Amino acid sequence: MAALQRVAQSSVSTTASSYGSCKAGGDVLSPSAGIEMAVPDQFPVGLRVLVVDDDTTCLRILELMLLRCLYQVTTCSEATVALNLLRERKDCFDVVLSDVHMPDMDGFKLLEHVGLEMDLPVIMMSADGRTSVVMRGIRHGACDFLIKPISEAELKNIWQHVIRKKWNGSKELEHSGSLEDNDPHKRGNNDFEYTSSVNEGTEVSLKGHKKRINAKEDDDGDTENDDLSTSKKPRVVWSVELHQQFVTAVNQLGLDKAVPKRILELMNVPGLTRENVASHLQKFRLYLKRLSGVAQQQSGIANPFCGPMDSNGKLGSLSRFDFQALAASGQIPPQTLAALQAELLGQPAGNLVPAMDQPALLQASLQAPKRPPVEHGVPFMQPFAKSQSNVSKHFPQSVISAEDASLGFGRWRSNSCSTVAPSNDHGGLSTQNSNLLMGIVQQEQGQHKRTQQQPVLTEPSRTFNVQPSCLVVPSQSSTGFQAGNSPASVNQSSSFNRSTVIDYSLLSDQSNNSLNVGHIPTGNLKTSGTLGGYSGPGSICATSCLVNADNSTSYQNSTATFSDSRELPGSLHNTANSQGFYVDKSGEMLDQGPLRNLGFVGKETCIPSRFAVDDFESQMSNLNPGRIHVESSGTLVKQEPSEDYVYNAKLGFHFQVS
Amino acid sequence: MEVGQMQRQWVDYTKSLFLEGFLDGQFLQLQQLQDESNPDFVVEVVSLFFEDSEKLLNDLTRALEQPTVDFKRVDAHVHQFKGSSSSIGAQRVKNACIAFRNFCEEKNTEGCVRCVQQVKHEYYLVKSKLETLFAMEQQIMAAGGSIPMLELNF
Repeated sequence: MAALQRVAQSSVSTTASSYGSCKAGGDVLSPSAGIEMAVPDQFPVGLRVLVVDDDTTCLRILELMLLRCLYQVTTCSEATVALNLLRERKDCFDVVLSDVHMPDMDGFKLLEHVGLEMDLPVIMMSADGRTSVVMRGIRHGACDFLIKPISEAELKNIWQHVIRKKWNGSKELEHSGSLEDNDPHKRGNNDFEYTSSVNEGTEVSLKGHKKRINAKEDDDGDTENDDLSTSKKPRVVWSVELHQQFVTAVNQLGLDKAVPKRILELMNVPGLTRENVASHLQKFRLYLKRLSGVAQQQSGIANPFCGPMDSNGKLGSLSRFDFQALAASGQIPPQTLAALQAELLGQPAGNLVPAMDQPALLQASLQAPKRPPVEHGVPFMQPFAKSQSNVSKHFPQSVISAEDASLGFGRWRSNSCSTVAPSNDHGGLSTQNSNLLMGIVQQEQGQHKRTQQQPVLTEPSRTFNVQPSCLVVPSQSSTGFQAGNSPASVNQSSSFNRSTVIDYSLLSDQSNNSLNVGHIPTGNLKTSGTLGGYSGPGSICATSCLVNADNSTSYQNSTATFSDSRELPGSLHNTANSQGFYVDKSGEMLDQGPLRNLGFVGKETCIPSRFAVDDFESQMSNLNPGRIHVESSGTLVKQEPSEDYVYNAKLGFHFQVS
Repeated sequence: MEVGQMQRQWVDYTKSLFLEGFLDGQFLQLQQLQDESNPDFVVEVVSLFFEDSEKLLNDLTRALEQPTVDFKRVDAHVHQFKGSSSSIGAQRVKNACIAFRNFCEEKNTEGCVRCVQQVKHEYYLVKSKLETLFAMEQQIMAAGGSIPMLELNF
């Protein structure tokens, strides 16, 4: 009995729904093209699932079950293809479902890869429910383990792993004291993420050794569901002036006594809420902590980076170095740098911004001769910094000054006050930044209050710059910069940027990613509207998976073949809901006139759905998934060189970091 | 035979399949997944299963015919078969697979050979049963009727 036209072993099929889409990769997406379609604020509807199973029967069943849950499903019968797919469309998926036993790659191996490279939640499945097998899964970092046969009810719940991972990721980086502020923030932030009119990219939380083992944590997420559908909170842009006001207020109160409420009162800024201040304060404190943390660890900096990330200080330092190096290398035009900064300022305090600002300030204060050691920072920079000598120069200085900072801020400050000017161009910081710093330093001069004001000096140049639903243009240049050489590289949205930028270091990646999740008001996550998914930054989303075509004809063809003389009911797939079409083995589309230009055919990245959908939009009902079966000759999408570059770099880091 | 009668026959037949253990709750799930947008889902999936199974059983038989049996391979096949059969609710096949795996672990060639026979037997049995069921469905639809929704409580 001929079955319906089945996709071959190496095929990938994607079921697209009207919400969420992945963009074709390889080119920088223009901001306007990103926002595909209105996304209902109905998380977990539209959750993007990648299912990997060599058993086609199971695959088909899972696919339909997931569709029933109103998820967006992509199926894959080969682990290697799935991995490539994930690498290329990193931000197009929220969760991965994988079988354990697969011929080409062990499911656990896939699990590890995904965890390492993409940090997506992975749920294992197997008919083998032995404790030992399940244990292996957990040890390898699976978020969950489902025993076949799987019921629809079990699949309905998989979204919890997505949320949990993100929240835990952001939680992990919230080391500073004001924890009470965390939860409402996270809630608020996640409201923000999941209720946006376009699916934002939410950064998938860090992965790393401990995180994988940390797979299951208690999640108070159930109650959060209600929050998810509340309205968005407007983002606060922490401009220089605003931040200065903030810092002034904090100084006035004294850092120890600075509570958000009082800060808010002192600042007296209309429209600013206590929550905004609280989250900003939190970051600020984190930043301060990291500064002191870095100072203590400066001698062992290389090692922490190589090992699992345990402390924020290390995280912060690494990213700091990254940017210093990049800044130092002078590769970055001031514009990009500023843009980057703006991007980075979305990060929690201390993570990246200080890196940008510190070189100047720190160099300024640095009276001592340069210390040789910090070469260890250099390897990390290698792929990116062109002039490594510059990089190394900066490391010691930043480190040293951190030390100095912890030892005597007052001294440092006075130093910086006097020497900022000449050192402004150190590290390649843009003049505007330096000027800012200058201005700030001079401002601070008068205060001389607390030792911890030194970091404050760097703060003002932070701007939390987020715009609701458009791409932050700078991010594009940032990514270009990040890839090291070609401005035209990879990415589209700023959220992408963030992570790709940070991708240099495993650590900063982690911190940034998770932080982004937790700090919506200041992050640029929104821009990932291009993704149409819940995913975070990362490399390109290769395809737009939305092909909601009323392709009943092709569907008909295929289904007709498999039923033995069974007559198709008249209503078969002529309903609005029936959408799907099959690409036959030669890779050509059947009866897909308007869709022909999609050119899926196993080699190309999928063309943005925008093109495909034109003729069918009128027929689309929002929530109806379409189905695409694509024959892949092996790799679905070709990788961009720069992507590889980044990817390899990451791998390189992984090897180093191990 | 008029439609109502055919439908009743179909219901009875289906029930018997459940009662005799050929099918289990998973099959019900498949039936519930079938709707206007996926009107042939059950047939589709079961057909997939049949196709995969033929291949699998062949591989299995050949693997056991080797001079030195690779039990790991055999076990992998059986595991696979267990997975797919359980996914469509072919209970007896699944159970036969479970027994099979024990023999694989023991590296008992003779036991495995016997198991293969058992598995095949169960497989062909459920295959013919399901084909009969589908034929009945076709008849009902040809006569303009629709497949009843099953409500079985287990």
